[in-house]
Amino acid sequence: MAGVKRRHDGMVENESSQSETKSPYLPVFEAFRAQLDEHHDRRERIIKVSRDVTAQSKKIIFALQRVRELGKPIHASTSKQTTPMYATIRTLLQSIVPDLQGSNAYRYRANISAGLQEFMEAVIFQHYLETQQVMSFEDAQTQLPNGISLTYDDYALGLFDMTGELMRFAITYMATNGQLPGIARGAGPSHRSSILADMQDLRTAFEALDATKAHSLSRDFDNKLKTTRQSVEKVENGVYHMIVRGKERPKGWKPDFSSADAGRDSGEAVESR
Amino acid sequence: MTTSAASAAFPNVDPAIFSSLQAKIDNDTAIRDELKSIVEALSKQGRVTQSILSRIHNTPTEDLAESVLAPCSESLKEQAATVKDLAQAASKYPFYKWNSIWQREIQNVVSNIQMCEWLKSGNLVTLEDVGHSLEVPVNLKDEDTFHVTIEDYLLALTYMIEELARLAPNAVTLTDYARPLQISKFIKDVHAGFQLLNLKNDTLRRRVDGLKYSVKKVEDVVYDLSLRGLIPKH
Repeated sequence: MAGVKRRHDGMVENESSQSETKSPYLPVFEAFRAQLDEHHDRRERIIKVSRDVTAQSKKIIFALQRVRELGKPIHASTSKQTTPMYATIRTLLQSIVPDLQGSNAYRYRANISAGLQEFMEAVIFQHYLETQQVMSFEDAQTQLPNGISLTYDDYALGLFDMTGELMRFAITYMATNGQLPGIARGAGPSHRSSILADMQDLRTAFEALDATKAHSLSRDFDNKLKTTRQSVEKVENGVYHMIVRGKERPKGWKPDFSSADAGRDSGEAVESR
Repeated sequence: MTTSAASAAFPNVDPAIFSSLQAKIDNDTAIRDELKSIVEALSKQGRVTQSILSRIHNTPTEDLAESVLAPCSESLKEQAATVKDLAQAASKYPFYKWNSIWQREIQNVVSNIQMCEWLKSGNLVTLEDVGHSLEVPVNLKDEDTFHVTIEDYLLALTYMIEELARLAPNAVTLTDYARPLQISKFIKDVHAGFQLLNLKNDTLRRRVDGLKYSVKKVEDVVYDLSLRGLIPKH
């Protein structure tokens, strides 16, 4: 029972009677308990939302990886899957807005961070697929409900993770289409509009950042940068092998698709040099 | 849908994104450096206070007031002034964004205040009294400014109790046989209070779980004294 001490065999009688006295500090600790419980309950609500947002965001990213075109609005069949997921995410985030007001915004920053990073990864990835441009921090903030503020750390770390998704998208696209995804843009040379050039630009931009003294960002920065470098190199190798070995591919050849996929791609000519 | 002319004007990877990110990083670094310099001053003073208080382990109880408590009070006053400076600087920014910088030093100051008060009066100083001593708010909920948190106070209390557990056998060495009884009662009362908390697996829980060893250590001292009939008669 809380507050009552165990009797000690062998203690002299006056000690025994003394040990039965209730602690004078119980009331103050009861007040502490109430406040700490409130704090932990809030923290746990936020963690649950963060996990759910993470899960929904990953599903969105998986759906986006099935996209076949770059630089165009997402296909209706994919939108049909992702729209309710986005709605779920916004509902979840809205539910914890009251918990993240005032000084609590940073008190629970660490608990919501993973969810926000994953969500950033999803929205930046979709934005890139539709426009072939990286979404700015200000635009990314507008994706969140009022009352939840985006930190630069979460934006940057989400952007790092997005480079991994670009790598997957690029490799998959090359494997199924025999060419690098990208869109013609103005009068510039076409290779400058490729996803590889964008990934190389992202890598260059990240490498230019000096994050060694950014306390919270620097913990993850080196690992993320290393992974981003690896992603860019994978795509570079993929393009090289596509160019070199792709010359051996018979004109008009394409991988076998299921009937549904074949129907969608039948109008698309495969180009090889 | 942007026009192709507008699209051509924007690079796919906008360098402005990264220059503003770098500016943000640099700004945060400057803030951190500002706060850290004050915390380092507080840390230096804290070592002085800690050094003074460590004399309780080799000073007879009757000499404590003059040899330890008086200089300790002076040192704590100086620390309170530094804490005030820190409060002024830190209150310009979100509290929980930066509080990891000073958390440990604040806990050390609070722990020393708790110890000093206990040595004077045998009582546990309240969180509010700690706030009065340091002239800073405590346990704020509606204001985002510098304050001493409940967690700081409780963690400081665990450090203080560990120090008292060390004092019990040293008091016997200095022939003060009543001191361990006083310490034992106090430590058990506080430990009973901690038992009321619904602790999660965090820093506070790890500290509180360690308190039972302090309780046991002091119980052993009291046992040894009672076994040998050294406990003063009332």
